[in-house]
Amino acid sequence: MPREKTIVTFAGWGNYTVAFKTLFEQLGLEVIPPEKTNPRTVSEGAKLVPDMFCFPMKATIGNYLPALRKGANTIFMVQNVGGSCRQRYYGAIQNKILKENGWDIDFIDLKITPKNIYKKVKSVSGASFSQIFRAARIFFKKLWLVEKVDRKAQYYRPREIQAGETDKLVDYFLARMERADRPEELSSLETEIGKKLLKIKVDKNKSVPRVGIIGEIYTVSDPHINFGVERKLGKEGIEVHREMDVTYHIQKIIFPWKDWVIQRKINPYLKSTVGGHGRDAIYEMLDYAEKKFDGVVHLLPFGCMPEVTVRPILENIHKEKNIPFLSLSLDEQVAEAGIDTRLEAFVDVVKNHHKKYNRQSLS
Amino acid sequence: MVTIGIPKALVYWKRPLFWEGFFKNLGFEVLLSPATNREIVEMGVKKADPETCFSNKVYWGHLMWLDKKCDLIFVPRLKTNEIKLEYCPKFFGLPDLAQILVTTPILTCTLDQKKRSFQKSLEQLGAQLDKNVQDVKAALRDSLLKEKREELKKEEKFFKKLASKKPKIILISHPYNLYDTYVNLRTEEKLLRLGVQPLMLEEVPVRHRKFLPKRKGAAGDLSEVDFHWEFAEEIVEKIREIFKYNITGGVEISSFQCGCDGVIKEMVEGEFKKRKTPFLYLIIDEHTGEAGLQTRLEAFVDTLH
Repeated sequence: MPREKTIVTFAGWGNYTVAFKTLFEQLGLEVIPPEKTNPRTVSEGAKLVPDMFCFPMKATIGNYLPALRKGANTIFMVQNVGGSCRQRYYGAIQNKILKENGWDIDFIDLKITPKNIYKKVKSVSGASFSQIFRAARIFFKKLWLVEKVDRKAQYYRPREIQAGETDKLVDYFLARMERADRPEELSSLETEIGKKLLKIKVDKNKSVPRVGIIGEIYTVSDPHINFGVERKLGKEGIEVHREMDVTYHIQKIIFPWKDWVIQRKINPYLKSTVGGHGRDAIYEMLDYAEKKFDGVVHLLPFGCMPEVTVRPILENIHKEKNIPFLSLSLDEQVAEAGIDTRLEAFVDVVKNHHKKYNRQSLS
Repeated sequence: MVTIGIPKALVYWKRPLFWEGFFKNLGFEVLLSPATNREIVEMGVKKADPETCFSNKVYWGHLMWLDKKCDLIFVPRLKTNEIKLEYCPKFFGLPDLAQILVTTPILTCTLDQKKRSFQKSLEQLGAQLDKNVQDVKAALRDSLLKEKREELKKEEKFFKKLASKKPKIILISHPYNLYDTYVNLRTEEKLLRLGVQPLMLEEVPVRHRKFLPKRKGAAGDLSEVDFHWEFAEEIVEKIREIFKYNITGGVEISSFQCGCDGVIKEMVEGEFKKRKTPFLYLIIDEHTGEAGLQTRLEAFVDTLH
């Protein structure tokens, strides 16, 4: 039914939320950003969602609810992000659940094909082609900038001399990014980020153990969901590497040959896709083992079908290649203290491993 | 003579007689694992990933039982069926995970009918076993016939059950939960004893289709979902079919941590709610006690009258 005014909200996704917000704003839509994931939103979401469903669904519904209360009436969700997994039905089920609970909303369930996205966006926002193009450009620029800050921070955190300096800067950049929505602003912000990061005093000769983070894309790249695993490891003096982010995912959708490369590499372990990013996890773990990393952290929502399927294989690689491995299942029942304890133990293992094999960090 | 072991769980129940017949026709000895029992479940639970679904854990148990008792263990990789719908993503990785678990070599064939016909896949399987195409074709024809005969019997059984005067309850689940009486804690028997007639969803006759149906409206109406899962499509279709008969209520059984059932349950429950028919949802796992199940079934049957 047509509404007087479309007010959009969408699923929060860690630091990328600012990029998505800009995207919708640039399309000329009014946006109420979703609330950042916190224990309250998660428990609110978990109350509505059937308990057999996976964690990201509970978290994202928790994100919408505060925004809906503030007056949002349209929700954007994408489907079929990761192949044969439950994510495909998020839109349908969330729509059903919210309607059953008395919310009068429009649910826009996007299929990831350029034509479909263009059509749907056009019908909702009424934006012209050039406007959509411009919005997409700013979106990608911002997304790229967020990812760049994340990656740079991974390098600086373990090496900084004054503890906490990097995180302070990262928070500052993210806040600045939230406000910047013109291309020129973003460009100047980019130079500023480069300059300010260079000023961080680092110990360049420090031998830093390296840990790779693999797993399901949502839990891996949302620090509110995974209790800031990256920051915690960084503070312990460990350099974190992570390949999985939105750009990686979009690249994989556009250029399918990445999948072929992955399949060729993991053939001795798994001869088929298992949906989601199951194959990528194995590929990345093998890659990290080859590069002589000191550990791998595997993050997944509790009961995630692809990740649970590949976990025995990951454990097998862990034994074969002698690389420390920690698998953390996250859901609404998990408390930060529990994760901290396990991470602390893991950090000790990683540091011992690093010392034992006396590895020099390459970068 | 080469013995091929087939675990009697999970994918076996998709086509119970077919694989057994096929290998026998090819001249192999077939060793089926016994019906699920406590020992098997315990073995599986110990070995499996703690977060995988209960049905998978049972499957690992059967694999462990077959280990070292035969020359090859057959674990097919089911990917897509003849109308291009996918199977559960957990089936995709079965042979690879089985390889880690057991020492006996794994015999596998990929059934991806999006890319290759069923017969072609079987011919390749035959080639792995040094059988020529003619042998495979003959074996396939024979076991398909046997399967067909069995299906007709199943249909007959269904209509016989339907003729009963008792209130009829439809049992909704995947075949590996419906037919494995240890796994579903003899729900069928229990319902019979409570004076109702259970019907199996698996036995509901529906037309075999050649094409993928499109249900979803063009405007992106979300109340109707096009499933990309073969079993979900089948369950929803059969439930719509069963409401044409006189049904008093429905019981859905799902294994704990079955990811797909989280989605399907919402749809199934919706169908029952729409028609104001009583509906009971049961989750089973290795800890489920018979007493608890009995109580819930009794309470459910009481609500029917």
